Amino acid sequence: MNLQHLTRRHLFSRCSVGLGSIALASLMSERGLGAALQKPKMQNPLEPKQTHFPAKAKNVIFLFMAGGPSQLDLFEHKPQLNSLNGQPIPDSYTAGKRFAFMDSSHRSNLLGTKFAFGQHGQSGAWVSELLPHTSGIVDDLTFVTSCKTDLFNHAPAKLYMNTGSGLFGRPSMGSWITYGLGSECENLPGFVVLQSGPRGPRGGAVLWGSGVLPTTFQGVPLRAQGDPIVNLSTPEAISATQQRQLVDAVGELNLRRLVETGDQEIATRINAYEMAYKMQTSAPELMDIQGESQKTLDLYGIKDTRETTFARNCLLARRLVERGVRFIQLYDTNWDHHGGPTENLEKHLPMKSQDIDKACAALVRDLKQRGLLDSTIVVWGGEFGRTPMGEVRESTGRNHHIDAFTMWFAGGGFKPGTIYGKTDEFGFGPVENPVHVHDIHATLLHQLGLDHRKLSVRSQGLDFRLTGVDPARVVKDILA
Amino acid sequence: MNLSSLTLHSVPEHPGAFLLRRGALVLSVLGLGSFSPAGAATVAEVQFNRDVRPILSDQCYACHGFDPKHREAGLRLDTFEGATAEHDGSRAIVPGDLSKSEAWKRILSTDPDEVMPPPKAHKPPLTAAQREVLRRWIESGARYEKHWAFVPPARVEPAVTGGPAHPVDRFIEAGLADPQLKLPPSPKADPVTLIRRASLDLTGLLPSPAEVDAFVLASAKDPDAAYKELVEKLLASPHYGERWGRWWLDQARYADSNGYSIDAPRQIWKFRDWVVQALNQDMPFDRFTIEQLAGDLLPGATDDQKIATGFHRNTQINQEGGIDREQFRIDSVFDRVATTGTVWLGLSVGCAQCHDHKFDPIEQKEYYRLFAFLNNQDEPTMKVFDASVDVSGLTGEFNALEKKLKDYMSEHASDLAAWEAGLTPATKKSLSGALLKTLEVPKEKRTFVQNRSLFAASIGGVGPFREANDRYNELDTLLNQGVTTLVLKELPKPRKTTVFIKGDFTRPADEVTPGTPRVLHPLEAASEQPTRLDLARWIVSPKNPLTGRVIANRVWQQYFGRGIVETENDFGMQGTSPSHPELLDWLATEFVQKGWSLKELHRTIVMSHTYRQSSREREDVREKDPNNVMLARQQRLRLDAEVVRDVALGASGLLSTKLGGPPVYPPIPDGVMGQGQVKRVWSVSKGEDRYRRGLYTFIYRGSPPPSLTVFDAPEGFSTCTRRIRSNTPLQALTLMNDAGFFEFARSLETIIQKEGLEAAFRRCVSRKPHPEELAVLQRLGPLNAARTLLNLDETVTRE
Repeated sequence: MNLQHLTRRHLFSRCSVGLGSIALASLMSERGLGAALQKPKMQNPLEPKQTHFPAKAKNVIFLFMAGGPSQLDLFEHKPQLNSLNGQPIPDSYTAGKRFAFMDSSHRSNLLGTKFAFGQHGQSGAWVSELLPHTSGIVDDLTFVTSCKTDLFNHAPAKLYMNTGSGLFGRPSMGSWITYGLGSECENLPGFVVLQSGPRGPRGGAVLWGSGVLPTTFQGVPLRAQGDPIVNLSTPEAISATQQRQLVDAVGELNLRRLVETGDQEIATRINAYEMAYKMQTSAPELMDIQGESQKTLDLYGIKDTRETTFARNCLLARRLVERGVRFIQLYDTNWDHHGGPTENLEKHLPMKSQDIDKACAALVRDLKQRGLLDSTIVVWGGEFGRTPMGEVRESTGRNHHIDAFTMWFAGGGFKPGTIYGKTDEFGFGPVENPVHVHDIHATLLHQLGLDHRKLSVRSQGLDFRLTGVDPARVVKDILA
Repeated sequence: MNLSSLTLHSVPEHPGAFLLRRGALVLSVLGLGSFSPAGAATVAEVQFNRDVRPILSDQCYACHGFDPKHREAGLRLDTFEGATAEHDGSRAIVPGDLSKSEAWKRILSTDPDEVMPPPKAHKPPLTAAQREVLRRWIESGARYEKHWAFVPPARVEPAVTGGPAHPVDRFIEAGLADPQLKLPPSPKADPVTLIRRASLDLTGLLPSPAEVDAFVLASAKDPDAAYKELVEKLLASPHYGERWGRWWLDQARYADSNGYSIDAPRQIWKFRDWVVQALNQDMPFDRFTIEQLAGDLLPGATDDQKIATGFHRNTQINQEGGIDREQFRIDSVFDRVATTGTVWLGLSVGCAQCHDHKFDPIEQKEYYRLFAFLNNQDEPTMKVFDASVDVSGLTGEFNALEKKLKDYMSEHASDLAAWEAGLTPATKKSLSGALLKTLEVPKEKRTFVQNRSLFAASIGGVGPFREANDRYNELDTLLNQGVTTLVLKELPKPRKTTVFIKGDFTRPADEVTPGTPRVLHPLEAASEQPTRLDLARWIVSPKNPLTGRVIANRVWQQYFGRGIVETENDFGMQGTSPSHPELLDWLATEFVQKGWSLKELHRTIVMSHTYRQSSREREDVREKDPNNVMLARQQRLRLDAEVVRDVALGASGLLSTKLGGPPVYPPIPDGVMGQGQVKRVWSVSKGEDRYRRGLYTFIYRGSPPPSLTVFDAPEGFSTCTRRIRSNTPLQALTLMNDAGFFEFARSLETIIQKEGLEAAFRRCVSRKPHPEELAVLQRLGPLNAARTLLNLDETVTRE
């Protein structure tokens, strides 16, 4: 809502302060403020903006598997790894490489997968038995098996995947995208974060921070407990009518101050109060999924509509896309399968896979049947992958691996039924078409109509970009 | 960076595009400016620093600049010699001869293989105005000047015009008198606005309605005397140090936790209190600098001087499993180098971490020479005792007791042996498990602690041994626990420092020794191996062209929302030119000449008419100087996050004005602490600690208090030399619904009930309400009226 509307509402509506506002309006026109109200400055900073070139997609849903899922037990079929199970990895692979837990792990032996793999769909993509539902949608997916990143500890690598830098305090991808495109949703934030799993992702709020960009563009976590947005609920002692009266009174007095001082920031603040008020109803309405059909709930595998699960978050992601929210990020934690009593490949990887498999497939199917998949990019992946070598702990696991890991993309102009990139016989490193994190960023921005080289902001003497200073490429081969 | 304009423009663009001054000067030279009368061209001379360098730096230096590794075709345009050198029979620039200048040909070319800047640089083509500047510059002899910020400030006294007496005003009015502007300054703000403005700016607190009344009364008699008295009172207030301490703590990237993913709490609030106290005492800024960078190296360093070195301990510490500790130690040194450069030099020296600086004359090797100063530290935790504790006396007593106890135990060894021999299985049952284990330790292997515990058990509750032992335990607790703080300590043997290729610590190259960039004044070291202390003294040397300007500019920025140099953290070639270069130099030299007194600098600025004038928008200013760069009026500024809190606390009568001490835990919304990897406890403070100033709220870097960050308080990840001022719906939700703000509203409701609406109104915005405003509030009932008042734009703004 812009101030023109607000003013008109005050002038002509049921609003009890109408008379005073008529006097105000004439005062405003006397002072030439009427015209000022139409200047760009009056706009909501999240107002949709012009793209650099025509966009293929409008929204992004990033399904972030926090901890680093094992591509070798899910997507990368490596018979040679299985046959050399227990053998040392040839030195030629590991010379000069650095790993997490350096002292204990880099000399360990190759570890084959215990899970059966099969080829699926027209594309013949390999998927392990852990992901039966994902196997059913492979022809809608674009797999990139040669993803690579630069950092091998969780928090820095998560930052890298989200901000293009391992340093704290840089703008996240969602912030860049809402900064570049604005949002088509007037009553919810443009960048929303949903979380599932036993704890928050390592790194916390900086993963969706706005860094050097204004906080308007930072991700807003929709929380599972309490208010979905911090301070969303009206205090208990205040009725809905009183809250509306508060917003009206603040608006009225602020408008007077705007006339008195001529400061346009006050107009922005009046708009902010209107949007905040709308969010108070629209966010709980969004979170209430009881109106969804049983068929939809079954598709996602949602049993209890109030329980915070990855499945529920996937359904919320679809609802957010329907409402025009630009960037939605889901974090599902505990994908760090080093081996050991709580995070091993035998027991916990299958459990995690089951947590997400049905809902991932459901999300893609649901978006498709509603005609939303073409304009929405769905991204699946973690901050890195896992080593072909096993880790020697009480039970089996794999270490962090940054040279090659798998991500998949769906919708938004990505080429469906594609497998891109090739890794060596153990899945250690790429032998064809490596795709760096910055290339992924450049490609995502490209589909949204943004040139990653132009999307920049200056701070501390540098032009910051999501894709950093080294050249990044748009991976055209995976685009339709 | 003009942060406020970032939110307002529909298409992201280079923030430099908003800089009126640069544009105005270039354009006015050419008669193309928006407020230039047609045909008034050709008067002013093209100046390299003002007109030409910005174009070359933006368009050319990335490939033809200081950094040889990225230099194309061996051509550099950042020096006269480079630009005029012969390459394959031609010269990029031939002074005075456009037709022979290859660069000019390339600029005009339409051939994509020839044109400069080339398409692959993704730079917009030069505008007509930019070409015109370059044409005139080459034709007039292509004279280069050293970058203004690297030349020591030249003090020019402002012209005496019969106008204003205050030097600041004379500089500002000279700028406003520019024929293209001809803007008069605004009239002085009314006394109510003025006392509110000065109080918020100098102390971060509101004046009480009684103080406002007294000031209005005094101003009616003698406005200047009343204002002068007000300013002196505010500068002498202990809350001045809190307000400006926060300004410095932003730059120090202060917070109360270790950051990264584990984000454990740390104790370093003694450093915060040191800053507040130093500012309150108006410690000269040169000493303030030296103590923070190298207080531990001063002869006979006091505890306070060591606490001050906490400045560079405000870096993050990564406690995640599986990390390479050296990598993160190096990262913290990188941060210290970058922070030192940004805070004191206003230079983005961090850019030279991976390669020679592309725009400023700082080589990568020079970066690592700065790094070498900051690479030789141990990072210990220091115990801090209250001033009332006689540490040396108690330590003496502690040592004497230790001797006494040892003597006693060796003299009475046979008593203990007899006691031990007499123990039966039945009597042993009454002994603790720890004692029983100790009994199994062979006599000669027992420690002092073990022996004492056995003696204590054998002797029972009375006697000289017991007295000495109890006192010993008490002193042990007092001396070995308590408050600690993080400090720097020089290693006896310096670490080896090398250049890291591409900033990668796994790729060490040439070894370097400590040193400073050659583009600046020479380092004067006390010994062969220069130390941090030499670096600190070099920074505050009167010969340093940067520090005085940088700090004066950053203080100015707090008062006007923008520095004289808008890029307050980049005085290098990519930074913006000062809007008032002579004023900046005057302030910088004044600052140094007045003994680096920050209070004197504040006094100079706030006593000016420029500061005291009204902030009201004016049609003529909006038209001719839409961003108010030339300051024909004051700026209306949204309050800083902590001040938003402090004002609400003050207005509602809840504010605790207690100074200093450990950080506090006011209420925060549920679930905030569970967002990170490790869920942290937040036990809400009781009593007055619930209502302390925002400065004292505990800051976890990973999950900072939402009511502060929503108003753009920094999280302390890296130095913050200028806060963004955003304006968002989440701020509205905070002020409307946050439990803390609701509690403040409840308290203000009580005030409304007791003292009436007008009193409450004045507690929030200082002025008296208009009848129409009162009418709006009256319809709401006291609680909603209180909430409305705390939500007003005017309440969270200084006008």
